Amino acid sequence: MRNTVDMVDDPEYEEEEEPSFSDPEDFVDDVEDEELLEDILREKPQETDGIDSVVVVDNVPQVGPERLEKLKNVIHKIFSKFGKITTEFYPEADGTTKGYIFLEYSSPNQALEAVKNADGYKLDKQHTFRVNLFTDFDKYMNISDEWDPPAKQPFKDFGNMRHWIEDPDCRDQYSVIYEAGERTAIFANDAKEPILAEERARWTETYVRWSPKGTYLATFHQRGIALWGGEKFKQIQRFSHQGVSLIDFSPCERYVVTFSPLMDTKEDPQAIIIWDILTGQKKRGFHCESSAHWPIFKWSHDGKFFARMTQDTLSIYETPSMGLLDKKSLKINGIKDFSWSPGDNIIAFWVPEDKDIPARVTLMQMPSRQEIRVDRTPKGTQGVVTNFEIFRMREKQVPVDVVEMKESIIAFAWEPNGSKFAVLHGESPRINASFYHVKNNGKIELIKMFDKQQANSIFWSPQGQFMVLAGLRSMNGALAFVDTSDCTMMNIAEHYMASDVEWDPTGRYVVTSVSWWSHKVDNAYWVWTFQGRLLQKNNKDRFCQLLWRPRPPTLLSADQIKMIKKDLKKYSKTFEQKDRLSQSKASKELVDKRRTMLDDYRRYREEALKNYQEQKSMRLELRGGVDTDELDSNVDDWEEETIEFFCDEKIIALDDL
Amino acid sequence: MKPILLQGHERSITQIKYNREGDLLFSVAKDTVANAWYSVNGERLGTYNGHTGAVWCVDCDWDTKNVLTGSADNSCRLWDCETGKQLALLNTSSAVRTCGFDFSGNIIMFSTDKQMGYQCYLNFFDLRDPQQIEDNNPYLSVPCNESKITSAVWGPLGEFVIAGHENGEISQFSAKSGEALKKVKEHTKQINDIQSSVDLTMVITASKDNSAKLFDSTSLENIKTFRTERPVNSAAISPIKDHVVMGGGQEAMDVTTTSTRIGKFEARFFHAAYEEEFGRVKGHFGPINCVAFHPDGKSYSSGGEDGYVRIHYFDPQYFDFELEA
Repeated sequence: MRNTVDMVDDPEYEEEEEPSFSDPEDFVDDVEDEELLEDILREKPQETDGIDSVVVVDNVPQVGPERLEKLKNVIHKIFSKFGKITTEFYPEADGTTKGYIFLEYSSPNQALEAVKNADGYKLDKQHTFRVNLFTDFDKYMNISDEWDPPAKQPFKDFGNMRHWIEDPDCRDQYSVIYEAGERTAIFANDAKEPILAEERARWTETYVRWSPKGTYLATFHQRGIALWGGEKFKQIQRFSHQGVSLIDFSPCERYVVTFSPLMDTKEDPQAIIIWDILTGQKKRGFHCESSAHWPIFKWSHDGKFFARMTQDTLSIYETPSMGLLDKKSLKINGIKDFSWSPGDNIIAFWVPEDKDIPARVTLMQMPSRQEIRVDRTPKGTQGVVTNFEIFRMREKQVPVDVVEMKESIIAFAWEPNGSKFAVLHGESPRINASFYHVKNNGKIELIKMFDKQQANSIFWSPQGQFMVLAGLRSMNGALAFVDTSDCTMMNIAEHYMASDVEWDPTGRYVVTSVSWWSHKVDNAYWVWTFQGRLLQKNNKDRFCQLLWRPRPPTLLSADQIKMIKKDLKKYSKTFEQKDRLSQSKASKELVDKRRTMLDDYRRYREEALKNYQEQKSMRLELRGGVDTDELDSNVDDWEEETIEFFCDEKIIALDDL
Repeated sequence: MKPILLQGHERSITQIKYNREGDLLFSVAKDTVANAWYSVNGERLGTYNGHTGAVWCVDCDWDTKNVLTGSADNSCRLWDCETGKQLALLNTSSAVRTCGFDFSGNIIMFSTDKQMGYQCYLNFFDLRDPQQIEDNNPYLSVPCNESKITSAVWGPLGEFVIAGHENGEISQFSAKSGEALKKVKEHTKQINDIQSSVDLTMVITASKDNSAKLFDSTSLENIKTFRTERPVNSAAISPIKDHVVMGGGQEAMDVTTTSTRIGKFEARFFHAAYEEEFGRVKGHFGPINCVAFHPDGKSYSSGGEDGYVRIHYFDPQYFDFELEA
C-alpha cells in the first residue's frame, strides 16, 4: 500500500486532531497483488500466442474434393456459433480429408465454448464429433509412457443393503426427525409401539429423504448430502454440493439430482448436479433459472430419460450419457407443465390458450418424439367450468372422455393399482368428495358423493381401495377413513392440527402427525390402522417429520400373488395366533411392571408413615395439644350446624288436589 | 355429578386453597380480589378487600383463624378469616409470589420476586412477636442469589421451607438459620407450583418442562415422575388414594393456536404408583392454573385462566376404579 499524505502536517487541519491515515513506519507490505486483486487479474487481457484459440475436431467425415465445399459449409455453420472462425485447416491425404480438422477462433474463450458444446455432437449416424483444445494435445502427448495402474480401492462392504426387508415380522421402517431437527431416529413399526432401530444426534441439518426403493437414506448438510444404508446405516456415499437444499432420486436409484441456490457461476453451472450414486461421480451440472417447482427434472418411469421445462422449452436428456436427446431441446411456446406417464416413456404437456391459439394438451412418445395425441380445447371457453379429460393411453388413437365438474377442484388423486379416482370439489364449508370409477369400456361413472366434508387433501393407500380424506392445517385435522370398494366411511376421527398424513408402503398403517414446523405445540405422530382404529399416540419433543421407508417392488409374479391371496386363510391363522401371543405378552409385561412399581411405592409409604408416627408428639406440641392427624381426630371440637339448601321446586295447581 | 361453578373473579385465577378441614375454599386472582367460599355448595362467605394489584398466593392457618395473601402490589397481608378484617400489612420492595403458614400457624413465610433491581428474598415473620409485624422487620430474611423462587411450601414440622426455582431446582431452606440445607435439580424448566400431601411427608412439583414430580419432603428424593405434553401449571396429591391430579396449559403466546372448542382444557389424573394417566376432566375454557384436592379426598377443585373455579365431586366409580395389577 502506498503511504497516504500525512494529514497532520496540513495547516488547515491544525484545530482538529485528525487521526493519521498513514501506515506505521515499520510497516512491511506483505500482501501480494495476486491475493488482493485475484478476480480482476483473472480478466487481465493477455497476449494470445495463438495456440490457445485452436481446436481440433475429430471424426469429421472423410470426403473427396467434390464434397469438400459442402463439408466446410456444414462445419462452418456448426462451429461459428461459438465465435468468429479466423482460420480453418482440413488436412488431406490420398485425395480425401483425413477425418480431423483444425479451427482457429479469435479468442481462447471461444475455443473453450466450442469444446464444451460441440464435443459429442452427432453429425449423423456414423460421425460424432470429438472436439478438443489444441493445447490439450500437448498435455496428452506429455503423459508418461509408464502407466501406473490406479491403486485398487478396497471393496467397501456395506453389508446387506436390503436388510430391513428381511424383518421376520414384516415391520416397515420410518424415519422421525424431532427435537426441532437435533435428533433423527429410525423406528420399525410395530402395532404395539415403535421399535428403535437407529438414532443419531445431528444426523441431518434440515430434513431427510428416502430413495424410491428404500435403499438409501439421504441427509442434508451445509456441504452437500450424504447417503446411508445397510443394516447399521453406514455412510455409503457423499456428494459435495455447497448449500444443497433439495434433492431428487431417479426411480431406478442409480442417480440423484441435487439443487443448491448458491453455487452458480457462468463458466461452471453448478446449481443442479446429477450424480451417479454407485461411483459417486458428478455426471453433469445444470443452470437453474428458477426454483419454481421441484423436482425440476422429472424422470421417466424406467430412468432412461429425464426432462426439464424452462421458458418455452422442454429439454429431454438420456442416461447414462446425460446428453440432450437428439442434441436439441423442444421449442414449445408457452409450455406450462409436463409429466411422464407412469408406465410408458410418454410425456404429456399442456399449453394454455394464447391469443389465437387454443389451449392444447399433447402426448409425445419418447425417444421418437412422435406426437400421439393432441387435444385442443375450443377457443373462448371462459368461466370457471373445470373439466376432467381422461386420455385412455392403452387404446388406439388414445380416446378421450370428458367429465364435467361444476365446482372448483381442490384435490384430485388416482387410486394406485386401480381404476378409480377421487375428487374434492366445492368451496369451504361445502366441500364434497366424489368417487369415480373408470370402467373397462372407458365409461366414467360416479360411484358416490359425500357432501359437507371437512377435507382438503386425499390420501390413497399405496395398495389401493382404502383412503383417507383429511382436513389438514387450517381444517384442524379432521380425518375420514373410506373403503372405496363400497364407498363406506369406516371411521371418522380427528388428530387436532394434523399437518401430514403418510401411508406405510404396504397400506396397513396410516400415520397422522403434527409437525413442529407448522405448529409449535402438541407435536406428535399417531399411528392408525387402515380402517381408522387408533393404535398409538407417540409424543416426541418438537417432532418435525416422519417418512416411511419405501419398499422395493415385489419379486413375486402376478400368479404367485394370486396364489397367496387364495390361501390367505391359511396364513392368517398363524398370524393371528402370533398377534394374540404378543398381545398377551405385552399385557403380562405391563401387569408385572405395575406390580413392581406398586410394591416399591407401598414400601416407601410405609417407611414415611413410620417416621410420621414417630413425630406425632412434636405435632401435638406445635398445635397446642390439638390432634389434627385425621379429619375426625377431634370430633369433640366439632360444632354441628344445620344448613338449609334449596333443592327443588314443585308447583301444584290447587285444582288437582 | 355436575361441577359447581364459582364465578367471583373477573380475571384469571392464580391460586386456590382449601382450609385444613375442607369446608372453606379460598381463591385469589389477578383482579386483586381474594374470595372465601363454602366448598359444600359454592356459596361465597366473603371477600378480603385491600390489595391493589394481582394477588398471587393465599394460605390459611390450620385453625382457620387467619388468612395470608401475597400480591403484586408489593405487600403481604394478614386477614381475620371470619370477619375479613385486615390484621397486618407487610410492605415489600417487589411482588410477593408465594406465601404460607407453618404447621403451628405461628410463623409465616413469603418470597418476593426478583424485579426492578431488587433481589429475591425469602422472609420469615413470627406472629407471636407483634413488634416484627409493626416494624415490618422479619426475624429472618434469606436472599436468593441464583434462580428466583417461584413456589414454596413448609416442611412437615416447620423446620424448613421447600422452594421451587425458576431454573427447575428444588431446595430446602432452614427456617431458623436461613441456610440452604439441600438442593436437587430434577426438572429442566421453571417450577410453577409445589403442593404437599396431606400428611406433609411428600411434595409434588409442577413444572414448565411438561412433567410433575413426586419428592420426599425430607430427603428431596425424586420418587415418581408424571409426564404430559403440555406445561404443567399445578399438581396435587389425593389424601385418600394413590392418585395425583395435574392441571396445565401452554405458553401464553400459543394460546390462540389451540382448539377453540368449548371446554377443551382438562385436568388429568395419574396413578401415583404406576405413573400412568387414567382420566381427564374437561370443562375449563382456558389453561388450568391451580388444582387442589379437598382434604377428605372426595372432591377436587380447579381454577383457570378463564376466571372460573370449578368444584368437582367424584362419582362412586372413581373410588372403585383400579388399574389392573
